[in-house]
Amino acid sequence: MSQFLQPTILLLREGTDTSQGRAQIVSNINAVQAVADVVKSTLGPRGMDKMIQTGPKVTISNDGATILNLLEVVHPAARVLVDIAKSQDDEVGDGTTSTTLLAAELLKEAKPFIEEGIHPQIVIQGYRKALELALEKLEGFSINISRDAPEEKRDTLLKCAQTALNSKLLANTKQFFSELVVSAVEKLDPNILDRDLIGIKNVTGGSVTDSFLVDGVAFKKTFSYAGFEQQPKRFENPKICLLNLELELKSEKENAEIRIEKPEEYQQIVDAEWALIYEKLDIIVKAGAQIVLSKLPIGDLATQYFADRNIFCAGRVPQEDLLRVQKATGGQIQTTVNGLNPETFGTCGLFEEVQVGAERYNLFKNCPQSRTATIVLRGGAEQFIQEAERSLNDAIMIVRRCFKANKIVAGGGAIELELSRYLRHYARSVTGKTQYIVNSFAKALEVIPRTIAENAGLNSIEIMNKLRQRHAQGGEEGRWYGVDINGASGVCDTHSSFVWEPSLVKRNALCSATEAACAILSIDETVKNPKSDQDTKMKPRGQPGRPPMGMRR
Amino acid sequence: MSLAFDDYGRPYIILRDQGQKKRMKGLEAYKSNILAAKAVANTLQSSLGPKGMDKMLVSPDGDVSVTNDGATIVEKMEIQHPTAKLLVELSQSQDAEIGDGTTGVVVLAGKLLEQALTLLDKGIHPLKISDGFDRACDVAIKHLESIAEEIDIQANDHEALIQAACTALGSKVVSKRKRELGKIAVTAVLDVADLKRKDVNLDLIKIQTKTGGSVEDTRLISGILIDKDMSHPQMQKEVKDAKICLLTCPFEPPKPKTKHNINISSAEDYKKLYQQEQQYFVEMVKLVKDSGANIALCQWGFDDEANHLLLQNDLPAVRWVSGTDVELIAMATGARIIPRFQEITPEKLGKAGCIKEVQFGTSNERMLVIENCQCTKAVTILIRGGSQMIVDEAKRSIHDAICVIRNLIKDNRIVYGGGSAELACALQVLQYADEVSSVEQYAVRSFADALEGIPCCLADNCGLNPITSVAQAKSRQLTEKNPRIGIDCMELGTSDMKEQKIYETLSSKKQQIQLATQVVKMILKIDDVIAPDDY
Repeated sequence: MSQFLQPTILLLREGTDTSQGRAQIVSNINAVQAVADVVKSTLGPRGMDKMIQTGPKVTISNDGATILNLLEVVHPAARVLVDIAKSQDDEVGDGTTSTTLLAAELLKEAKPFIEEGIHPQIVIQGYRKALELALEKLEGFSINISRDAPEEKRDTLLKCAQTALNSKLLANTKQFFSELVVSAVEKLDPNILDRDLIGIKNVTGGSVTDSFLVDGVAFKKTFSYAGFEQQPKRFENPKICLLNLELELKSEKENAEIRIEKPEEYQQIVDAEWALIYEKLDIIVKAGAQIVLSKLPIGDLATQYFADRNIFCAGRVPQEDLLRVQKATGGQIQTTVNGLNPETFGTCGLFEEVQVGAERYNLFKNCPQSRTATIVLRGGAEQFIQEAERSLNDAIMIVRRCFKANKIVAGGGAIELELSRYLRHYARSVTGKTQYIVNSFAKALEVIPRTIAENAGLNSIEIMNKLRQRHAQGGEEGRWYGVDINGASGVCDTHSSFVWEPSLVKRNALCSATEAACAILSIDETVKNPKSDQDTKMKPRGQPGRPPMGMRR
Repeated sequence: MSLAFDDYGRPYIILRDQGQKKRMKGLEAYKSNILAAKAVANTLQSSLGPKGMDKMLVSPDGDVSVTNDGATIVEKMEIQHPTAKLLVELSQSQDAEIGDGTTGVVVLAGKLLEQALTLLDKGIHPLKISDGFDRACDVAIKHLESIAEEIDIQANDHEALIQAACTALGSKVVSKRKRELGKIAVTAVLDVADLKRKDVNLDLIKIQTKTGGSVEDTRLISGILIDKDMSHPQMQKEVKDAKICLLTCPFEPPKPKTKHNINISSAEDYKKLYQQEQQYFVEMVKLVKDSGANIALCQWGFDDEANHLLLQNDLPAVRWVSGTDVELIAMATGARIIPRFQEITPEKLGKAGCIKEVQFGTSNERMLVIENCQCTKAVTILIRGGSQMIVDEAKRSIHDAICVIRNLIKDNRIVYGGGSAELACALQVLQYADEVSSVEQYAVRSFADALEGIPCCLADNCGLNPITSVAQAKSRQLTEKNPRIGIDCMELGTSDMKEQKIYETLSSKKQQIQLATQVVKMILKIDDVIAPDDY
């Protein structure tokens, strides 16, 4: 009998999970589907929100990247989806849900091929080819918006911002917010368009339409000591001193040792400590600062000292706010007051402290150096404002992108359908397996309009038929037909109804979705090591001497 | 969340702790969210209106509070459910912005959700419902603005303001004394209001509570009241034409901030040290005295020796005055806060007409009243009442009243209460509903029904038959074209709220409707809930 017993070869640590081959690819594809299903219903203007509770924190969101992030996906293949959504978010800021859906759909289309035994690499090649063609065509289809007429350009930006806001909670006030977003972006330096220079501040209370734009920097009043109210709260063209320095009466060194012999010397030590802080304060006052901001605390003594000299001060200013003030006012953050000179001071047109809802805010307006803007968001509940902030973030990113690259395509699934039509047409001209695969790619693209229609409660099959027909027959005119959620027919020319998106968003979405799909298709083995600290005793061991079931082939 | 299996029967784990997470989707999610939110609204429902009931809330520490104020109730309920929490925030946001109407806003949101639930059962897409609500909300707001009336706040000795304050106080435990308290609130606000800029800094009104006495003893002090007494019982109890020295350093020998030890090796050294300490005290008192101050207020404590010395030098002093009080006193008397004795100068002293110690009832507790301050007119409302619970509730009620008055000073447009404004809006929205051609029509109509829920609720709480009285009021509004007909909660014999003088601010009503709609929209947009299983 002994010749039948194979010697056991233990290659991997016990408890290691391995799976390989075709089954592995299919299993990965299924996992990806499950994740994509979660975000599916958020797509489009009738997309819904998700409420996710993590510990005590509750997030309500419509943003694909945010949702995927909060889901805490651990499946290794499904994590790829989370990563592409994140990369789309970082790169373009919007279109995260459509990227995820597209990747999942591409995989779903690939599944039958894999099951039928087509080599994954052939599918990958086919997808890459189709992507190449699609991108080429996308470039050709996109419409150039003239850069010359500023009004026209502004109009385009507004349209793009509105399209981005369509699916969000703010959809009903999109006119208002698109105006806000575009104005904010316009305030920036057109050559750099630094996103960090647009601050978004949340104040609960009030209605969303009470939100407003500050031409400059705004931040919440910091914690203040007695005497703060006696400081002036309004300056015109002030000199602003930015510090990273603690202005408090404190022990200079923790473990200093001084020996004094006589009681009289005691007073000197006390005086010396006071002198230290007074010296610092004096330098600031002498240099002519009118507003003193510090990242570190400004104590009660300093507060009162400044109050006596008509200087405004704020300690514990959050880092990011201080940096924005620095950029906006042209000042420099000092870590010491020694050698403080007025050249390091920033300035702005107007400084004042105002009441916003239940909070007081410090506003720095009309900053000369760099152009910044702050959006102060109002709304009923904390979660509402947080979601509004995410939505505005998307819109800001889109407007920024649009500002730079002035090419747009029509949304509402129109561009996807047009690309799909083109690819189908192309597929007929190729021979071999690629034909099927390009066809599948074309079919996968249709997921976007289909999902939009489904989410809006329309009959998606009917709508898709109408759309395909329009695109097939329309030529130039039918090109921009997409899903219309309001009208009775369900389809309309989304270009003329101003559902516009920067072509860059689509380009990036197509690229990353295809890349993700290809990456998942090319994985044929997963080796998952058990956690090193996991107690192996927990698992029932196999009988000694026998290889684990999965290893015996 | 249930496990998913792949084609080969192996379960896959996609999310962390997948087995312990619960997921609700679609209709199930809507319903669960709506029911949770409605449960909160139902709790508050009975607190609405002049005959609304109070809630008794016991905190985990055993503290009991009895209140009628919506924001306080929901805050103290410590709600866990995420959707229900949204309503809590809704109420708080109304509190922060307006200060009044915190119950109404939650009840309205609850009514809207109730209507949404029936619409969902009809199979209408949730976003269509929220679109409809949104349109209806716009119509309601516009109508509110058109029926609002401007009132002259100064006429007839601010009668209108007092009436508005009375309306706000009407539903509270102190309603018996609403006229008196209303007057106090109005006077307090007018004292600190900047009528030209239409701005009221509420920080200047301090509300101090003291148990004992009865609510009638509540009074307004045109000055600052601090819950402290003189540092020595034998000190002068009253200082006229006070020159105040405001100190943020203790009457103690100065200490360096650096850690220090004192080693004393001989008796002589000890004596020396003692003498020096004495020297410090004498000098301190001298410095204060020399500046011309006749009272010292200090943020920190006194050494016993110093206290004695102060008494000897006939310098009344107060210790342990809180930081916020120090600031308030500084603002009111024009004093500068002085961080050390060496810096005391006559210019830095604040001036007040009179500082006196007052005693209440038979208790040994004393308070310090600073009156006739030279700068701003900070005022204090001293609330008295039989028990801590009553005093606390009275404080919240007066806060509401003060907020109402402030809002009226900012914007002097009012609508009439007693559910009349809601009824008028409901009628307008109903009329608009017929003009909507799409599915939203149903949602718009439901919005009107929800608005009607408020007067219904009012009538119910007052022991009237809700359906009859609302139907009556509705028909009278239509036939008489009078948007002021509401529910006669107090049974005064008239339903015209103008005659009953039930005033509510336009801004509060507007905000209520807008905020409630906003939150309902948000809840309706959620179709998927992922949470830990124990939720």
